[in-house]
Amino acid sequence: MASYAQDPAFWSLAAVALGSVGLTVRVSLKAKRQEKGLTEKLAQAEAKAEEAAREVQEVTDGKISTVLKSAMQTLRLLAAEQQVKLDELQREYGGHKILQPLLEVNHANAQFARRALGIAVLCGGFSGRRKEPASVYDVIRSAQGQISQFDRVKIRDQSGFAVVPSAVDGVALAVAELLANAASYSPPGTTIEVNLQPVQRGLCIVIDDAGVGMSEEAKQRAAALFSGEYRPGLSELGNPPQFGFPVVAELARRFGFHTDVSTTSPWGGVRAIVRLPETLLTTERIERRSTLTVDAVPHSAPGEQPASERTVNGLPKRGARKAPIALVRTPRVDDRPTAPAEPATPAEPAEQDSRVTAARMAAFQQGTRTGRQPIVPSQEGQES
Amino acid sequence: MTTEDADFELRGELVRPYVITNGRELPSEREFSVTTLVTVTDEAPNSRVLSPESRSILDLCSGGYLSVVEIAGHTGLPLGIVRALLAELAENKLIWTRAPVPSAESADKQLLKEVLHGLRRRFA
Repeated sequence: MASYAQDPAFWSLAAVALGSVGLTVRVSLKAKRQEKGLTEKLAQAEAKAEEAAREVQEVTDGKISTVLKSAMQTLRLLAAEQQVKLDELQREYGGHKILQPLLEVNHANAQFARRALGIAVLCGGFSGRRKEPASVYDVIRSAQGQISQFDRVKIRDQSGFAVVPSAVDGVALAVAELLANAASYSPPGTTIEVNLQPVQRGLCIVIDDAGVGMSEEAKQRAAALFSGEYRPGLSELGNPPQFGFPVVAELARRFGFHTDVSTTSPWGGVRAIVRLPETLLTTERIERRSTLTVDAVPHSAPGEQPASERTVNGLPKRGARKAPIALVRTPRVDDRPTAPAEPATPAEPAEQDSRVTAARMAAFQQGTRTGRQPIVPSQEGQES
Repeated sequence: MTTEDADFELRGELVRPYVITNGRELPSEREFSVTTLVTVTDEAPNSRVLSPESRSILDLCSGGYLSVVEIAGHTGLPLGIVRALLAELAENKLIWTRAPVPSAESADKQLLKEVLHGLRRRFA
C-alpha cells in the first residue's frame, strides 16, 4: 500500500477520482437546480404559448370579423333590396294566386336578413337605418316575421309607445333572437306569448314560452353574457355556432337596453324580458309605414280636418289615413227607391267639406242606384 | 366598402305582410271580389285583439260601403292580405259584405213598344 502511496501515478489517479466524484456531486446539484428552473421556465413558456395562441386567436378573430362584417353588411344590403322588390310585387300581384309563394319568399328573405345582421353585429357592425319611429307593437311584429315559426307568436298588448328610429332594427333583431330561442326550445304547436309591461322609466317586452326551461348552468352563462362580463369571440360560439344570446347581449350593450332570461314563464318555460329605457322610446306620432301613396284616388276635400292623434284606447294613430271617399251613407232601408240620403245641413260648418262631398257622392250614388232598380209601379209618382 | 355599405336606408316594410295576417290562408277571389262592398256591423270590436290594419279597415268602412279594391288602395296592403283580414273580420261578425251594385236591368222591350204605341195613338 505504501508503495502505492509513494507512486505519483496513484495520487494523480486519486486526484482524478476525487475530482470526478466532486464533479458528479456538483453536476447533480446543478442538475437539480436546473431542473427546478426548467420546470418554472416550462410553466412560463406554456403560459406564454397560451397567451400567444390567444393573441393569435384574437388577431385572427379580429381579421375574420373585419372580413365577415363587411360581407354580412353587403348581404344585408342585398336582402333589403330584394325585400323592396318583393313589396312591390306583392302589391302588384296582390290579387293573384302568386301572392302566397311571394309571401313565402318574403319570409325566407326576412330570416336571411336576420342572420346576416346578427353576424354583422357580432363582428362589431350594424347596417341599415330607418327614418321613422315605429310602434313597439310593430317592432315586435317585425321580429316575429324574422323567425321560422312566426305563427306561434301571439302579441297580447299594443302600446302607445314607439321606438326611436335608430333603435328600431336593433331592438327588433334582439326580440327576434329571443323569439327564435323560445320557438326552438319549446314544443311545436305551443304558443309563445308576448306581453308589454310599462315600468318606471321604460317598457318591458316579456316573452314567455312553454318549453322545458333552462338549466342553472345555462342561466348563469346567459347572465354572464347579458351583464357584459363575458363577450365571446367568433371562435367561441361553438359548433354549430350559437348566435342567439351573444347577438342579443351585444345589441343590448350597444343600444343600452337590458335583457334577462333568469325567470320562469307561467308554463314552466323561459321568460325572457327586454327592458327598453325611455331613451329608446318616444311617443312621437307614428307615420304611416306604407310607402305607397294613395294620391291617385281623389281625396274628399283639400281642407279636411287632421285625424286625431290618439285612438280611444290611447294608441297613436297610424296617421295620414285619408277619410274614405265615395262613400254612400249607410242606407239602412236599402232597396227602396225613396229620397236620397239626407243632405248635409249648412248648420254644420265644423264637419265641412268632406262630409258635404260625401253626402253629394252619396246622393249621386243613391240616385244611380234608384235608377237601376226594377220598376215598381206603386212607388211611381211619389218622388219629388 | 364599409360606411356606404352599412349606412343604407331600409325602405322595405317593417312588418311583413304574412305577419299581418298571422299566416292565415289567403281566401279565394270568389269570396271577396274586388267590387264586393264592405261595411261595419254594430258589433263593438274588441280593440285589444285587433291589429292596427284591421282597425283601419273598420275605420275606413265605418262611413258606409267601400269596395274591397278601395280598401286595398287606402291601406296600401296587397289585395290578398286585405281579403284575409276581411275574412277574419267577417268571421268575427265585425263587417257585412254585399254583392256589388248590379248593373242596370235592361228595360222590357215589349213595354216600351206599348208605351210608344199608346203615345202615338193619343198624340199623333
